[in-house]
Amino acid sequence: MGLPGSGLAKGLAVTLRTMTRRAHTAQYPDVQPELPPRTRGVIGLFEENCTVCMLCARECPDWCIYIDSHKETVPPAAPGGRERSRNVLDRFAIDFSLCMYCGICIEVCPFDALFWSPEFEYAETDIQDLVHERDKLREWMWTVPEPPALDPAAEEPKEVAAARKTAEKLAAQAEQEKQEQQEQQEKEGDA
Amino acid sequence: MTGTGTGTVSATATLAANADAHGFLSPTGVEIVFLLVGLVTLGAAVVTVTTRQLVHAALWLVVALGGLAVEYLLLTAEFIAWVQVLIYVGSVVVLLLFGLMLTKAPIGRSPDADSGNRWAALGVAVAAAAALVWVVADAFRTTWIGLDGDAPQGTTKVSGEILFRHWVLPFEALSVLLLAALVGAVVLSRKKSAAKQSPVKKSREGAQR
Amino acid sequence: MSDTLDVVLRLLAVFVAFLVLPLVVGQTEHKVMAHMQGRLGPMYAGGFHGWAQLVADGVKFAQKEDVVPAGADRRIFQMAPAVALLPYLLVLLAIPVGPGNAVGQTVDAGIFFVLAVMGVGVLGSLMAGWASANKFSLLGGIRTAGQLIAYELPMLLAAASVAMAAGTVSLPGIVDAFHWWWVPWQIVGAVVFFVAGLAELQRPPFDMPVADSEIIFGAYTEYTGLRFALFLLSEYAGIVVLCGLTTVLFLGGWHGPFGADGMGWLWTLLKTAVLAFVVIWLRVTYPRLREDQLQKLAWTVLIPLALAQIALTGVVKVVTQ
Repeated sequence: MGLPGSGLAKGLAVTLRTMTRRAHTAQYPDVQPELPPRTRGVIGLFEENCTVCMLCARECPDWCIYIDSHKETVPPAAPGGRERSRNVLDRFAIDFSLCMYCGICIEVCPFDALFWSPEFEYAETDIQDLVHERDKLREWMWTVPEPPALDPAAEEPKEVAAARKTAEKLAAQAEQEKQEQQEQQEKEGDA
Repeated sequence: MTGTGTGTVSATATLAANADAHGFLSPTGVEIVFLLVGLVTLGAAVVTVTTRQLVHAALWLVVALGGLAVEYLLLTAEFIAWVQVLIYVGSVVVLLLFGLMLTKAPIGRSPDADSGNRWAALGVAVAAAAALVWVVADAFRTTWIGLDGDAPQGTTKVSGEILFRHWVLPFEALSVLLLAALVGAVVLSRKKSAAKQSPVKKSREGAQR
Repeated sequence: MSDTLDVVLRLLAVFVAFLVLPLVVGQTEHKVMAHMQGRLGPMYAGGFHGWAQLVADGVKFAQKEDVVPAGADRRIFQMAPAVALLPYLLVLLAIPVGPGNAVGQTVDAGIFFVLAVMGVGVLGSLMAGWASANKFSLLGGIRTAGQLIAYELPMLLAAASVAMAAGTVSLPGIVDAFHWWWVPWQIVGAVVFFVAGLAELQRPPFDMPVADSEIIFGAYTEYTGLRFALFLLSEYAGIVVLCGLTTVLFLGGWHGPFGADGMGWLWTLLKTAVLAFVVIWLRVTYPRLREDQLQKLAWTVLIPLALAQIALTGVVKVVTQ
């Protein structure tokens, strides 16, 4: 406990110390917040990757993704080949007045067509304007930040590991061939 | 309240006597102001005792006491004026208002804010006023007391010297009276709890007080 | 003619101080309180760090509707803010800021004048509390009255101690008689005076009469617009007056370690400002005292301390003479 009144003095010291430190206030409209790259601000669409598999629309808990598409036949790539059919995206819209930012659509997309962007300033005065159509979703795509770097001691990503393994194998093969060639040359020289 | 009224009346009477000696028909500005303030004070005092609205009565009492303080000021008795404000307006009336609020004085007229004794009270008040006016008028008659002379009568220094040199004995007797009242209050407030209640309850009550 | 001009100039100066200083204190409170809580406080009004926040607040208050509750005692309800505010203006008139003639109006019994008139200011709160026809206001009024009765006495006793030490009850006289060793001598009295003054102003941690979490805003609950602003202004004017008085009575007013001539008024202002900072600091730091704690502090701590201070003053005075 200590001296009587030491608690009172301690209280005064706390407030005085806080006063000498920088305030925590975020001066938002004047200073933009520094958001982490995985911030759930808005969802961007990278259209070229979309195959209209409808997984996102089906998994969405509040059904806020609207997708329209039609099928097109593509002529065979090589003469004599088979005709292929392909899905073409007509409409892709997310209603952000319904969206609850769970991110399930982004998780389930097997082709990496949906991304989180930290942009958050898209308030509207009319709720219908919160339905973001394809072009707007594409624009959000340009605000998606680069994926954050891996942790210093992290495992390599699988694709890099696979590529490296192949490269190493090829290098070893080349080395072996070279060695065999050399040995042959030496034999010939001996002979 | 009666005291307020009579005080004013007596003070006015003295002034009238003074003015007589120094030209009754050409009063100075201070004298005119003194009279006007006296009238206001008297009016406020009368309203205090006649109004049916309790809190208004207390507030009119503030006006009356304040008017009296102004009269003291005009008589250059500055110290007494401020003590008047400090004790009566600052403490007594606040205590009065505290009591009125605690008993939920209604807004508007109180039907029972009238006493059956009012004629007796009026008689006592008139008698007291008459006695005071008569005593003061008889004591001073036409004595002229200069207010702004070489030796001002009402400054703190003069008041202190008079109080603690010439009138020490009555002053101390008064303080003994106050002490007796204080002790009486303490005794009255302690007696009940000591006799009836358990010590725990008593200490709790003490904390509440 | 020059006499009249002198009086007019003095009154004008006091009036300007009365309008400006409380606003300065209020703005400082905004900023200091914010930073003590890790915030920034007002940042927009006026451009630079929200310096004009209180001006903006005043404009806002002036635009609001002036509402008088139907069941209220109309005239008293409307009169109360003026009764609360005017006494502080009068008190400011008597506080000397510099040596010689640097005072609005010299009052012979300065201490008594100042304390008496400050006590009158509380009547405004009582009138407001009763006339609002609101139970929260009434409770606030009762608490105000109880607090005033409890804290008026220690304040008076502490002031009396200084008057004894100086041998005069005039404020400039007290400052003239001041020596540096008065500060340790009268320190207990100073603390008692300051604390009792805070309680009389109903500043936190003594803000039980306006405790917003239980009785909304006490006596001022029903007030809106300009009348409410007047009550707030009277609170901040009260801070200025209390700090100025403590400076004059206990901290030696215009006496300072250096620059005594000509710059004396600066010392007074500086000390007043430091005390005002302390007022804000205390508000930010401590939680509100409960009603019984309030009364206990006054009757069992402050009054005995003040009496002890008076005894000490008397002993020292007799011994040194």
